[in-house]
Amino acid sequence: MKRTPVLILLTLAGVCVLPWCVSENSYLLRVMTLLMLFAAMAQSWNIVGGLANQISLGHAAFLGLGAYASTVLLNRVGLSPWLGLGVGMTVAALAGALLSLPTMRLKGHYFALATLAFGEVIRSLGNTWSSVTGGPAGISVPLVPEGGWALMQFGSTRPYFYIMLAAMLLITAVFWKISRSRLGYELRAVKANVASAEVIGIDTARTKMVAATISAALMGGCGVLYAQFNFFFDPDSVFSLVNVSVRVALICIIGGIGTVAGPIVGACFLLPLEEILNATLSSAGAGLSQLAFGLILILIILIEPRGLQTLYRRMTVGRTS
Amino acid sequence: MALLQAILDGLMIGGVYAVISIGLTLVFGVVSLVNFAQAQFLMVGMYVAYFAWRYLGLDPLAGSLLSFAVVFGMGYVIQQQLIRRVLKAPEVAQIFLTVGILIVLENLALIGFGSEFRSVQVWYQNESLAVGDLMISVPYAIAFCASVMAGLVIWWILAKTWWGRTVRATAQDPMAAQLIGIDPDRVYRLAFGLGVGLTAFGGAIILPYLTVSPAAGEQFGVLMFTVVVLGGLGNVLGAVVGGLSVGIIQSVSGLYLPLQLQNLVLFVVFILTLAMRPEGLLRQPS
Repeated sequence: MKRTPVLILLTLAGVCVLPWCVSENSYLLRVMTLLMLFAAMAQSWNIVGGLANQISLGHAAFLGLGAYASTVLLNRVGLSPWLGLGVGMTVAALAGALLSLPTMRLKGHYFALATLAFGEVIRSLGNTWSSVTGGPAGISVPLVPEGGWALMQFGSTRPYFYIMLAAMLLITAVFWKISRSRLGYELRAVKANVASAEVIGIDTARTKMVAATISAALMGGCGVLYAQFNFFFDPDSVFSLVNVSVRVALICIIGGIGTVAGPIVGACFLLPLEEILNATLSSAGAGLSQLAFGLILILIILIEPRGLQTLYRRMTVGRTS
Repeated sequence: MALLQAILDGLMIGGVYAVISIGLTLVFGVVSLVNFAQAQFLMVGMYVAYFAWRYLGLDPLAGSLLSFAVVFGMGYVIQQQLIRRVLKAPEVAQIFLTVGILIVLENLALIGFGSEFRSVQVWYQNESLAVGDLMISVPYAIAFCASVMAGLVIWWILAKTWWGRTVRATAQDPMAAQLIGIDPDRVYRLAFGLGVGLTAFGGAIILPYLTVSPAAGEQFGVLMFTVVVLGGLGNVLGAVVGGLSVGIIQSVSGLYLPLQLQNLVLFVVFILTLAMRPEGLLRQPS
């Protein structure tokens, strides 16, 4: 038992050194940075999806809201992305709280449906509200070569990697703290049986709303980071059902929904796999890598819907028994 | 006057929405599965009818029957091979299986047919009939009539035939149905096939006034679910009422609201219904 914290620290140290082992703007470093970002996103999804067992298929909405909030303000009034982080998180949090009101008593499929519809409507709003969002053409973060830490803009990928790593660690810490706190206890009660939870005095509505707000806020924060890293985005990519909402949920599920390590394990599995597929398949035609993604999704669901960690346990238990 | 025209247009298009959505609600009512990929079967139906028109010279109305048959077969196999395995699994598995099917279908279409928009040319495409002061667009009217007929056929099958009773029995209580000798798996296969086949049929009959592309299903996804939620998931008559309502709401809101808000109106209706009356506007299940 004592080995685990040491192992974690060693891995962390290794991870911190990684960016210096590869060239500054290498493709590999870029993939690792995105891996950290998606792990962070999946961890925010995990708060609602894992602790409360509410499958949200609309989390892209929060990502995009954060991204647009900070970038629009950056473009219009020159607001620093760090402050934009706060604004983005607030906007996303408000959206999350607002969405949780009508969806509170929904379960399972119905909740997934409602969040999916929400995500799609926000996407369509992003496309049609051109005066604010720039419409389908998207918007960019203005390029300031010597921006540095003040403008969260760097010529090299390395600082971005550390920012994403910090975000991932922070959100994981939040998840861990919640799961061991009173809120986590209440969420588990709600997950098990709403009526019983009410009977023992838990305000299930408030609990769900708090979880939704935190999850949305964190996702919005990731949106700001995504905008700064990518420099450019449009409604169809940042609000994407398949490339964001489903992907983030899938990462969490593959890794092990509801567990602290789940999103990280899932990201480490899925993102490199996708990159390999992209590299080998996209030259062969558009849609091929997404098709492979869909097929993998179906395969995983059929083999072990509870994720890699469970699959691993299943396989190792089989061997020792 | 413009309002009356909008309501009429809404009614016409609503009839089509109804037929498209009956399939979705049937799948939920019988198989107890929310099929997130339903709209993609609509897209497949459209492509089948398009290619039937292009290479066989079939008018989309005739092609719609072909669409139904092809997609029915697809649905039958998909239910047998994929969906059956997750019916007893946690909801997460069911949701993501159908999402996976969504992704696969859309990208297969993209790879197979390319991303260009295609449309058919039929003689009645731009014709309109004048009824008093109102204009009825002919393709809309034909689609509406086809939908009404399809709806009646489905109603008759479910209400009056032996097979329909079997389906309703399985929907009500699969265990009891099994006890009296019904094979639920077989019913699920047929029901799922019927459900997605109907949606494909609907897609084919609207081909004259729409274009088809791999993403064609996306615009109907949220719409179908709104219809079904309004009518009550599993309620076939409700899907009809829901379809007509959504058609009218969409048409009338198009008259008074800017584009940005039209989708929002539908979403608000959807969310409010889910929140306040999840069993739908109609009261009894069917």
